[in-house]
Amino acid sequence: MRVLLMRTCLADMVAPSVARAARTALERAGVEVVVPRGQTCCGQPGWSSGHPDQARPVARRALRAFRGGDPVVVPSGSCAAMVRHGYPELFAGRPEEAEAREMAERTVELSQYLARDGLRPRPAGSGSVTYHDSCHMLRILGERESPRSVIAGVDGMELREMQQTEVCCGFGGTFSVSFPEVSGRLGDEKARNAAAAGADELVACDLSCLLHIAGRARRTGIPLRVRHLAEVLAE
Amino acid sequence: MIAALARRRATGEVRAGAEVAAAAAAAADDWGVSRALLAGDPLLGELGVPAALGADGRELLGWPDGRGRGWRELLGLEGPLATLGVTVPALGVAQRGTLVLETGAGHGRSIDVVSMYHLAVLPASRLRATLAEAMTETYAPGRRRPSAVSLVSGPSRTSDIEKISTLGAHGALAMHVILVADR
Amino acid sequence: MSEPPKAGARPVAYPDAVEPLRERTREALADGELAGNLATAAATWGAGRARIGHEHPFAQMRERTREIRRGNIGRLPELLERLEAQVTEAGGVVARVADSDAACRYVTDLAAARGASLVAKSKSMATEEIKLNEAVEEAGLRVVETDLGEWILQLAGQHPSHIIAPAVHLNKSQVRDLFMAESGDDLPGDREALVAHARRRLREVFASADIGISGVNLAVADTGTLCVVENEGNGRLVTALPRVHVAVMGMERVVADWEEAAHVLQILPMAAIGDDAATYVNLITGPRAPGEADGPEELHLVILDGGRAALRGTEFEEALDCIRCGACLYACPMWRSVGGQAYGSPYSGPIGAVLTPLLEGMRGERSSELPFLSSLCGACHEACPAGIPLHDLLVRLRARVSTPGTRRDRILFRLWSRAWRHPVLYGATRWGARLGLRLVGRGGWARRLPGPGAAWTDQRDLPTRWPPR
Repeated sequence: MRVLLMRTCLADMVAPSVARAARTALERAGVEVVVPRGQTCCGQPGWSSGHPDQARPVARRALRAFRGGDPVVVPSGSCAAMVRHGYPELFAGRPEEAEAREMAERTVELSQYLARDGLRPRPAGSGSVTYHDSCHMLRILGERESPRSVIAGVDGMELREMQQTEVCCGFGGTFSVSFPEVSGRLGDEKARNAAAAGADELVACDLSCLLHIAGRARRTGIPLRVRHLAEVLAE
Repeated sequence: MIAALARRRATGEVRAGAEVAAAAAAAADDWGVSRALLAGDPLLGELGVPAALGADGRELLGWPDGRGRGWRELLGLEGPLATLGVTVPALGVAQRGTLVLETGAGHGRSIDVVSMYHLAVLPASRLRATLAEAMTETYAPGRRRPSAVSLVSGPSRTSDIEKISTLGAHGALAMHVILVADR
Repeated sequence: MSEPPKAGARPVAYPDAVEPLRERTREALADGELAGNLATAAATWGAGRARIGHEHPFAQMRERTREIRRGNIGRLPELLERLEAQVTEAGGVVARVADSDAACRYVTDLAAARGASLVAKSKSMATEEIKLNEAVEEAGLRVVETDLGEWILQLAGQHPSHIIAPAVHLNKSQVRDLFMAESGDDLPGDREALVAHARRRLREVFASADIGISGVNLAVADTGTLCVVENEGNGRLVTALPRVHVAVMGMERVVADWEEAAHVLQILPMAAIGDDAATYVNLITGPRAPGEADGPEELHLVILDGGRAALRGTEFEEALDCIRCGACLYACPMWRSVGGQAYGSPYSGPIGAVLTPLLEGMRGERSSELPFLSSLCGACHEACPAGIPLHDLLVRLRARVSTPGTRRDRILFRLWSRAWRHPVLYGATRWGARLGLRLVGRGGWARRLPGPGAAWTDQRDLPTRWPPR
């Protein structure tokens, strides 16, 4: 099995360990990982903010970088959702439409990919985690089970569910800086719920949510350890 | 139907034709009403309901002549406050506890909302399973089309204060259905 | 892509919503009582919704509703023609009006012609949209809202915060204060007493109103029947007692036949209040018929365009499928945080953020901010009984509206696009970001970022090392 790994721009900018961990986890599960050099960003920031014309050239670069027919695996629910659901609309009626649909079809979020084939990068572990259902994972990709079954695949690791796991953390892309107070309020609730679950750490499939929740927890004095699910699997 | 009514915070009972009048009087007693506004449907007379209600010294207004008293009285702004509206629904929807009231020469469109309490006398043969069935029948082509059909599913309620349901907003405070066993 | 739609004459947003949206959200967040009231309301709705989900095949019902509404909007001109013909045959008068001014003029002209002085109103979002109460009062009549929540708001001089439960942001002691001020009576504080008091006061209005004005939840084209759905009974009284009944409806609120109507009438209370049935569904076909001893002598149906027709055939058409249940409001984490009044429009929450700018032809600057008050979480779409992809509509709207924010962002995103389409320039920003983080970080965290980053650190720290410790 061979896959192309999308690192994500957020990991590139602030958390390169997440992309490395995704690669490690896949390789441990016996998957050959190719990391295309020419990749940049999936284009979502421009698209969600209402600048599709600016997003398109960036997305085009992704189409080119990830050519070839292998599955594209990405440690981000929101990037996967962008490619799967945003690209067909972004390129509708344009010369790249067929190519965009083709890429959309073979793009998959990391835990989806692992769960689909029952892969277990880390067969055993310890401690406990609580899991935040990021909105793109849950509602756009319709994925509640894959991350949970991947966590369950780590024998000895306990999943402690938090209250209101499916309520938005408040990040929302540029929303986090256009309406920072509302975003912060929602982040508070999420951080409190996560801490109250009593697990060793909070994990999620989206770095964006984690940056927001961790940042808000730190600002308001809630002790909370966070990591990306990929990092737990690559341990 | 009875179970559905209970969910709607109304009450209901099944009675043979001969027992209906007594059941109606009992309901009126429980509620302590001193005046009743009765739909002008011959069924009520056949079952002896007006006589039973009037027997305890209750004032009876028929339809449409009771209308002559004017809205202030019928609404309870003048005269007794604890009034009873007695209706004869055209149909009932068992699944939902809904009564289908049709306006007509013998049945006012507002009998159950101007009154404080609502008593409905419904022949069991008029029950339908679903709303879709009841509506298709009510509006079947060729049938007289009443200017107002009211689907009534319980006493009046509001959740406008703190999202907690309180009964008796503008319509009836309580509703009781006597299902006449006629099948 | 199609032209942006033209607008109705009066803005949909409230004229007193002048502050920037962000300011209004800050004020709302600072109101502690509001937060508690909204949380209670949303939790009650949520519990009801969960129960409904267990007892009914909601997912299938939702698909059928979407199918029905898509069909309705696709055939809208034909359905409206049939509706008009049927209502007219039943003895009603139909007025199709282009915009809010025309709608208000129709009503005030009618009121003058009938020598009316008191209007009783039951709940209608369409009349809020066209600001009918103001127009009627300007014409010298008295208007009283008879839906309990709307009456409370009228007394408080406030705008509604929710489509179905407009006074949900107030608690019972606030309501008691309002009732006492209105009547001069001293009142007990329990809910039952407050409701009984309102019942008495408003019966005076029912008894003497010259005109009753209602909305229309659904119109059935096949028989010309107007469905008015409610729980309190004021809709029954408003449409039965006064001599003249005026029903105001948005042109999109029509279904073809009774099979469709029965389905929508089933799902509406499920989505709106988490219950199988509303207490009263009033089905009105024309004014009082010969032989009937009660009912209005006249029925006037005012069908409002107000910017709706222009949405058909555009990428925003699905917004017309809305049956005004208000579920998306309760599901929306943004609405739950700030309440409906912060939106500055009779339509708040996700549907409000979509409809308000659209019906205004995207010309209202304040309304144009609304689509950005969203984290695009998709809970609205999940809750919507008609399956409207509100989160997608919000993204599309963001690309169409123009505000100082979008104009500034366009420059930023142009730079972003120029840089990030080239791997080399992208690599340079990557290098710059890593360097920047090392510079601003103290112990692995940054508390204050310069420039555009300041809005981030306004509310949160930024981890400069990952994983954060």
